Amino acid sequence: MERDLDNANPTILNVSQLPSRRRTGPAARHGPDSKCDSIVYPKHHWPYGASSSSDEGEDDAEDPVDAQDVYDLISTISDPEHPHTLGQLSVVRLPDIHLTPTPAELPDPDSLVTVLVELTPTINHCSLATVIGLAVRCRLEHTLPPNYRVDVRMKAGSHAQDDQVSKQLGDKERVAAALENDTLQRMVDKMLETCA
Amino acid sequence: MAQFKQWALEYVLSDDEPAQLEITKKAAQEIESSRASSTVVGNWAASVQQWMTPASAEDDHMDDADGDEGGSGDIIARAKVLRLIGFFGAMFSYDHKAGITASAKALRQLRSTKSFKPNMGAKILDDVCKIKEDFRLQTAVTRLEIYELFLGLIQDPAVSSELKHKYGSSCGFVVDLLQVCQSERDPRNLMIWFKILALLVSDYDPSPEVAEEIFKVFSAYFPISLRSSATPIGITAEDLKEAVRSCFSAHQRVANLAFPFLLQKLDQGDAVTLDILKTIKACIEQYENPQANIVPHIETIWNSLKYEVRNGEVKETIDATLDVLRTIARKLDGTAAYKLDVSLLQGYVDLVSRDCRDDLANPTYTKQAGLLLMTVISANIRAYVLYNAGFIDTIRQNLRQPKSPSHTRDLLLLLNSLLKTRMELFRDRRKGHPDDVESLRTESRSHLDTLFHDVYLPVWTDKTKEPVSEERDVLKQVIQGLALLVSQQVLQSDGTPVLLCSGSVCSEICSFLSLTVTKGLSLSSNDNDTEDTALEDEAVLALRTIVMNYTGGYAELAGRVKAEIKKRDWTHPSEYSLGALKDLLSRFTFIGCSEAPTNIATDTPKQFSPLQHFITLTASLLEVFPLSSEAESIRLDESASANALVISSLHASVIWFRDACEAKYGKEALTSTFSGNQHWLDEFRQLPDDWLLQVQRGDGDSSAALPLLKEDGPEVYHQFLKLDLFIVRYLYRSATVGPRGPWDERALVQLSQMAALVVRSLDEELQVSCNLADEAFNFFRDADKPSPSSSELLTGLLTLGILQGLRPGALTGLYNPGGQAPRFLCGTPDFGDSPSRESDIRAAIGAILANKYKEGPSTPEPLVMKQTLDHWGTWLKEATTSSPPDASTFQAHTKIALNVIAGAAARQDKHVLALIPTLHQAASSPHPNGEILARSLGLIVKQNDLLTPENHAVVKRFHKQWTYSHLAKPLLQPAQPGRPADPLTTTRYRIAVLSVISNCPFSVYQDDLPLLIRLLVTALAGSSRAELADDEETGWSQTAAALGVLVEILTHESGALTGYLREVIGGVTRVYQECSPQTLRKKNEGVGTQWGAARTALCRRLALQVLGGIPSRFEERHVRAYALPTQRMLAAACGDPVRRVREVARVARGSWARVV
Repeated sequence: MERDLDNANPTILNVSQLPSRRRTGPAARHGPDSKCDSIVYPKHHWPYGASSSSDEGEDDAEDPVDAQDVYDLISTISDPEHPHTLGQLSVVRLPDIHLTPTPAELPDPDSLVTVLVELTPTINHCSLATVIGLAVRCRLEHTLPPNYRVDVRMKAGSHAQDDQVSKQLGDKERVAAALENDTLQRMVDKMLETCA
Repeated sequence: MAQFKQWALEYVLSDDEPAQLEITKKAAQEIESSRASSTVVGNWAASVQQWMTPASAEDDHMDDADGDEGGSGDIIARAKVLRLIGFFGAMFSYDHKAGITASAKALRQLRSTKSFKPNMGAKILDDVCKIKEDFRLQTAVTRLEIYELFLGLIQDPAVSSELKHKYGSSCGFVVDLLQVCQSERDPRNLMIWFKILALLVSDYDPSPEVAEEIFKVFSAYFPISLRSSATPIGITAEDLKEAVRSCFSAHQRVANLAFPFLLQKLDQGDAVTLDILKTIKACIEQYENPQANIVPHIETIWNSLKYEVRNGEVKETIDATLDVLRTIARKLDGTAAYKLDVSLLQGYVDLVSRDCRDDLANPTYTKQAGLLLMTVISANIRAYVLYNAGFIDTIRQNLRQPKSPSHTRDLLLLLNSLLKTRMELFRDRRKGHPDDVESLRTESRSHLDTLFHDVYLPVWTDKTKEPVSEERDVLKQVIQGLALLVSQQVLQSDGTPVLLCSGSVCSEICSFLSLTVTKGLSLSSNDNDTEDTALEDEAVLALRTIVMNYTGGYAELAGRVKAEIKKRDWTHPSEYSLGALKDLLSRFTFIGCSEAPTNIATDTPKQFSPLQHFITLTASLLEVFPLSSEAESIRLDESASANALVISSLHASVIWFRDACEAKYGKEALTSTFSGNQHWLDEFRQLPDDWLLQVQRGDGDSSAALPLLKEDGPEVYHQFLKLDLFIVRYLYRSATVGPRGPWDERALVQLSQMAALVVRSLDEELQVSCNLADEAFNFFRDADKPSPSSSELLTGLLTLGILQGLRPGALTGLYNPGGQAPRFLCGTPDFGDSPSRESDIRAAIGAILANKYKEGPSTPEPLVMKQTLDHWGTWLKEATTSSPPDASTFQAHTKIALNVIAGAAARQDKHVLALIPTLHQAASSPHPNGEILARSLGLIVKQNDLLTPENHAVVKRFHKQWTYSHLAKPLLQPAQPGRPADPLTTTRYRIAVLSVISNCPFSVYQDDLPLLIRLLVTALAGSSRAELADDEETGWSQTAAALGVLVEILTHESGALTGYLREVIGGVTRVYQECSPQTLRKKNEGVGTQWGAARTALCRRLALQVLGGIPSRFEERHVRAYALPTQRMLAAACGDPVRRVREVARVARGSWARVV
């Protein structure tokens, strides 16, 4: 298995540096003094009777699919050559995920939404860019509802042949043909193993 | 014949009488069982014949002569052994092929006979070595046998001294041995061979030439590795490495060979490096006389090893290298009993310092150089005392001209590690040589004294203005350093330890760190926008360490915290202020109560008590309470009020200090019983309300109730509980007698839970002597004070707090006629504006009273439970038929009734059984109240936090099974669908059963799955909801319960569902669709309220969970038919508006995608 890597030393982000939903709200402080917070500052201050057991409510609020959701779906895909995820390698970035129309403007839950994901390979001659794009496409098609159209592209200027790769990824026939190839399919499956 | 010969041989060689007997028996059996006995007897005789000596020919009992050593028997036996040795030994010179294994075995046996003499050992060695080159042609097993023989001989002290006597230091036999065995490769054999070699080096005193020969043999194996094999042999590469290592470290006579050899090997790569370093370390540790054997090699070792740390990257290698360097320093210091000359250690540390000192100025190598210096200096007290001042001075000089923030950080890190090491050395000072303590006593301290003003403070002032991330790391190091500095102790001239820093410096450090902690409250929200609390957290940890050593610091902190809090107006605080107050109080509590302080003398003598911080904290909190005299209007975000935060902190302080006591004094201290009959409440009555403040100030007469503790241990915990009870009493009185204003719901709940915690920690005797059962209703008010009218909620919560913690034995008085218990057990009060809250409390009290009921000796008591349950039976019957109250009142009262029954059912009270038919009847009543009862029946078995062993509740192990079998099981049959005669009863029973089982663990109902699954399928069917009176509430709760149970069944026994897959898949799909927001929006229901939305989202989630669990648990042929529609539906469900539902949908979609 010894082979030369396209990029032997990519920049790797720490998991805590990745964008996540939790950081958007005022997070609960976790200092050394927080051990008995759940008892003395409980979330539901009324511990008796039926109301105490219902932990529903806040988490069950309606919240349509947004860019962070899409990011969470694809950032955990493994890179084909490094033991890191696409999120950690910044191949997938939150600002490069676009939903049209945006969740706020969605007229009706069943209306058509286009998800555009722009990928940034770690180096501009990355030979695996197509495979990464294929994996992202597969992942999204398997996890988003049918009214979401998926468009995966290379970010302009991020790859020596970004046009060609984007075109390849946009061609349904070629994507289907690629997935007929056992080796490619196995590779994609391997990359998707780390997705929860 | 061969068999007899073998047995005869074994018999002769065996020393063990039972074994000999066994062989005789076998031979006898063989003779008896054979048909042609004469031949067999002949064979036997022939086999025995050859061993017969004239002396023992009369009987065929060949015993080695026991008895006197010089007796004739002894001589004969010896001659026999000698003959045998001669016979078997000859095998090694002539008959190689046939009997080497057997001969080696035989010789080993002979060695263990009583007649074996040391000179025979030498002969055996001689004989066996004659095998020469043919040895390597033997199988590994044979060689193993010979190695065992060698080892046995060489280990034998008698043989060993014989060999030494015979061969002297030239060790002729060793050379032969080495020649025979030198090319061994089998791991099992090698393990023994290495053992033999180590013994030869260490025990046989070989001449340098011979030692070198031996060294050559084992060093040829270094570094050793083990090829992985398919058949494990029970020996690892690590075992082999250890064995070779023990050869190297066997004796200092190979020191001159070992060190150069090992150092030369160092360049061979990382895996080997580790092995080499460990071997060097083992050599240094084992070799004696370091001056002669180690000192000459130190410089070479140091020169080779320093680069492993300075330029090394692999953590294991660096650690192992430092280990070696530390071991050298320890070895050069001497042992606990005998110190070596100081010049050896000095020479070594000088060598290291010379090379490292300059590196400290170079940011690239600061860390590594510091690590090297630290390691040798902190290896023992002598090196530390000699060199730490110089080291600190170098760090100080470098800190004056740092090259970058990370350089400062590394230097501070070094300084801190040095202080930390000093603490460890100081703590273990008695384990070493007495000189160590003496040198600690006389060490110079001036370089430590000035650290705060010279090093830490300037760095802090420099970096604290606008710290960027790297500088925050520097500040963190400063904070940690300050904590370490205050914890330093020194020995006074009389040998008692005292804090290094003077009181004024400690106080300065304390106030300086307090500022960081109180900053949140003193600034406004605009000035304090940093989200990163790492610095504050570091300061909190540092302050805790500081006040545990410098105990005066906590009172200073308390003063500052009080002043900060009082500065603000708490009548209408902003959200920011409340958050800051919460953080401050939480940290303040943690600093003082998460550990019990240590008694260390300071330059200003003070009174010490392990409880002093706890007292300071609680007195301060009680002093500032209430922060505002009026209850705030109910806050929209449900955050706690300022007053509630104070009570929460008091509660937290009890939890923290209790844990601290457990950590410090062990669990036993918490469970030990109290001595004597103590009437704490009587004592409290004599005390003023501000008693805690007086104790804190140390007023003379105030401490009579709390004698000053001389010793640690359980007594501290007892006094802590006494203080707790005083605080609870004070707050209860304040809540019931004082103004009502400060006490909002949150504050009361916290007080109630704190009371429960305190009360349940007391033993029964104390609970009785303090009359807590009555105080639960009297709230510690003195009899003469009139009780002002308090709300039901307030009194209820306070009562609940105490009752929750009481032990059953302390409650008996309440059940007497006219006592408080019957009122609460049977009362159907009229709830005012907050029926849900008040009925919750009444229900909780009812459950506790019904549960902790203990039949006493006096007569009326056994009737109490019967009367109570009869009362509720009658009420339920009437409320569902003749005189029904309105639904909300019925619901509230049913909650109480069912909780009382739950309390009794938890201890399997037999009176509950009599009530069950009434419950069934009432649930099937045509009145809509029957439906409410049916869907609430689950309360009887629902998990209840009040009924737990920690709260001293009586909970039988199988009470849920018991309740299920009497309450729900009889309904299973009548609840089955398809009984047109009485559809209402069928529906009601189904609802009741689902309500009960959804609150039971799977094991309770697993025997009734076939009947249950039919009920579940019916409950999921769309038509089931149409039959209900209160379609929304009952319908959704029924569906959610059914889905929950299905998830359980799928997890535990999915096979039971095989016949019902069509119905289950169809049912849950229908539920999902009915609950989807689109459908509900069309029907305009369910989504209106938050409650409704949450309930439907829960149903959707459970439905998808059931669906997702199916494919992996059934064969594909069962599910294939449903794949397509289900996959389509799940794809759409991935767009569900609720995120949590989407997540479950994705998992389900993934599992169905595998069905083709």
